[in-house]
Amino acid sequence: MAKPPLSGIKIADFTWVWAGPYCTLQLAHLGAEVTRIETKTRPCVTRMLPPWPDGKFDSLNKSGYFNQYNQGKKSLSLNFKHPEAKEVAWRLIKEADVVVNNFASGVMEKMGFGYEAIRKVKPDIIMISLSGYGDTGPYHEYVAYGPAQVPLSGLSSLTGYKGFPPMHAGFSYADPNAGVHGAFAVLAALYHRKKTGEGQYIDMSQWECAMGLLAEGILEYTMNGREPERNGNRDPLMAPHGNFKCQDLPEKVMDMTIDRWVSIVCTDDADWARLARAMGRPELADDPRFKTLQARKANEDDLEAIVTEWTRPQRFDEVAEKLQAAGIAAAPVADNKYLCDDETHIAQRKYWVELNHPEVGIKRHAGIPWRMSGTPTAVKAPAPCLGQHTDEVLARLGYSNAEIESLRKIGALD
Amino acid sequence: MAGALSDLKILEVGEMVSAPYCGKLLADLGADVVKVERPGVGDPARTRGPFPRDEAHPEKSGLFLYLNANKKGITLDIAQPEGMELLEKLAAGADILIHNVTPPDMDRVGLTYDRMKRVNPDLIMTTIAPFGLSGPKRNWRAEDLTVWAAGGVCVLNGGGPEHADLPPLKTFGHQAGYQGGVHAAVPTLAAAFARLNGEAGQHIEVSVQEAITSQLEMTFEYWPYMKMIATRLGQKPIQPVETMRCKDGYIYLCCIEEHQWRGFVEIMGNPEWAGEEIFKDRLTRALNWDVLKVFLEEWVGQHTVLDIYRKAQAKRVPFAPVSTMGDLLNSEHLKARGFFVEITHPVAGTWKYPGAPLKYHRTPWEIRMPAPTLGQHNSEIFGGRLGLTQARIDELKRKGVI
Repeated sequence: MAKPPLSGIKIADFTWVWAGPYCTLQLAHLGAEVTRIETKTRPCVTRMLPPWPDGKFDSLNKSGYFNQYNQGKKSLSLNFKHPEAKEVAWRLIKEADVVVNNFASGVMEKMGFGYEAIRKVKPDIIMISLSGYGDTGPYHEYVAYGPAQVPLSGLSSLTGYKGFPPMHAGFSYADPNAGVHGAFAVLAALYHRKKTGEGQYIDMSQWECAMGLLAEGILEYTMNGREPERNGNRDPLMAPHGNFKCQDLPEKVMDMTIDRWVSIVCTDDADWARLARAMGRPELADDPRFKTLQARKANEDDLEAIVTEWTRPQRFDEVAEKLQAAGIAAAPVADNKYLCDDETHIAQRKYWVELNHPEVGIKRHAGIPWRMSGTPTAVKAPAPCLGQHTDEVLARLGYSNAEIESLRKIGALD
Repeated sequence: MAGALSDLKILEVGEMVSAPYCGKLLADLGADVVKVERPGVGDPARTRGPFPRDEAHPEKSGLFLYLNANKKGITLDIAQPEGMELLEKLAAGADILIHNVTPPDMDRVGLTYDRMKRVNPDLIMTTIAPFGLSGPKRNWRAEDLTVWAAGGVCVLNGGGPEHADLPPLKTFGHQAGYQGGVHAAVPTLAAAFARLNGEAGQHIEVSVQEAITSQLEMTFEYWPYMKMIATRLGQKPIQPVETMRCKDGYIYLCCIEEHQWRGFVEIMGNPEWAGEEIFKDRLTRALNWDVLKVFLEEWVGQHTVLDIYRKAQAKRVPFAPVSTMGDLLNSEHLKARGFFVEITHPVAGTWKYPGAPLKYHRTPWEIRMPAPTLGQHNSEIFGGRLGLTQARIDELKRKGVI
């Protein structure tokens, strides 16, 4: 049986919240040994955020958020107030191939773990910092939180309904985006090190990484000196192009009516004719208001009203199935319940991970979005409880049982 | 110094965003990428724009020029048997084949890993498909919006409870494509690394839907953990975490931790209302947001974006401006870091583009050449690399293969 591609690679993981953990999650997925350096004195923010299985915060190990993004990693608990704890971290760094952090620029230096210090003892180390603003430039010490990076990047000013203020992306998009790009960057550095023996430092700014996703907006400005207008879900070259309201979920959830929508795109006039037939209104294909793209764009409000009239009484998944059968791009606008409960596709592809976690038991988690035929990858273990692997990692680093006990006694492992 | 990936030879059969973005990530670190386009029309990204002066032109599309700099371009119709044979020949000399040919089209033209493996057992072939290569939705037609929606993020964004009639909202641009591309680059490069350790080539399959579902923050787990549905219509658990209008633009207020709120109150000059019981912690501020919002809007509306941003950051409060494109291009910070890069293209001219997403201290990220014109490198690749005679190339051109 072939080994996963990063077997034998060790990662000293100083990350927290989301961007950094999403980076090391990819590396863990690929088979690297990822050891999180954590502390009970200031636990990872996501350990203290919902969802919790009993609806209340009564343990640092029960957060679905933390448990999602730390699958397959180990947790070592250290309190850096004690020099002995720093010594443990140094041993971990010396054994590691890669050091990852996502603090604001300069924080690792203040902790004593800056690149220059590490390089002195481990010249071929690969180190990456996924900071909000990068290591240089006048704002390099500014603080960045996940949700604020989306508006900072420029994505918000481009996103929104026509005539409405800028909108968000709905999630802290710049975080996982930086994380996955960071994993890519680490892999390129590992490739280079394998070829040449040289390590290196990688300065990643979450802000810059997100701007790579909006080249169309930036080029509208550099080419034509214009700020692109926000235009909801519409597209200049395709119509209809949007999300259309369907039947609400029949039962209420937590006293809320759950609305459901279907996403539909017609790429050309032939698609529109197919949609007209699928809606049982073939005459609309030749209707001068809708026959050509230009006409559909000019009458897009009416067009969307007609499509909505057809979708509104139907189930969102049934509309999508019907339209796919007719050869049209459509999909349910999935929410977490639909994704999790739907056994027709993702579940059949064995994407979900269902491992037994010591405190929350078996819960469905998102898995690995790729399959490798030669060096198969799989999630090895559920996310670690805080400090779960402290003894195991210390033993690996050469500490005797007596030494571990004395570290524990002085509080270095808190 | 050469880029970290300068010894990798890559073949890209990519259209629009996902496979081309994957190819771009590798090309910008030095890999030699040959991009295969359909004869005649080329990559549909060439029709997308933005275009200088809004004049549509296949060599002037901003999206295409951005995604395909540093690549060589050839034309090849893989729907014709002779085209597929040439693709095999090219794959025989490549390390990696990246593509986003849709699964039904793969079946139609006979593009399979087994076929490529026969000509090159060390080849890494990466298939990016909207719903993956298995399961009942394998052959579903998809556009960027429909996959973004199917992955579960669209439902999180939109009007909120006060505008429940407005639909779940897509994020600007082709985000499903970008995420498909970067999530494909990760296992692709891991496979290249494994090859250095003695592994053979392999097939990698990436589902764009799964790449999106992999980044739903804490929202996905709300169902398996608490049987709660996360939607744009829910109330925020913590406030203020909102966009608000200033005198001259918009700022994003972000008080997640209590010390951040206290810092904000100080910046506002400790107004009396801030001491009210209903604003005492982040949870009560969310419950009483309708009242709090009125106070905040009044104060924020009298100040400029930059004023609030700088004062907040001075107190380690992570506010951020809602950047316009002009703000980005004029940012002193981004200028000091040299983020934007100028690329000169023979037909499109010289423009500024987004630059490096990461800075390596040793190996460079660099733009070595602009995006190819359609079929620009046909002679070099078919003649030089594959050794076809000019007569044979002319014949293939007549048949519409090239």
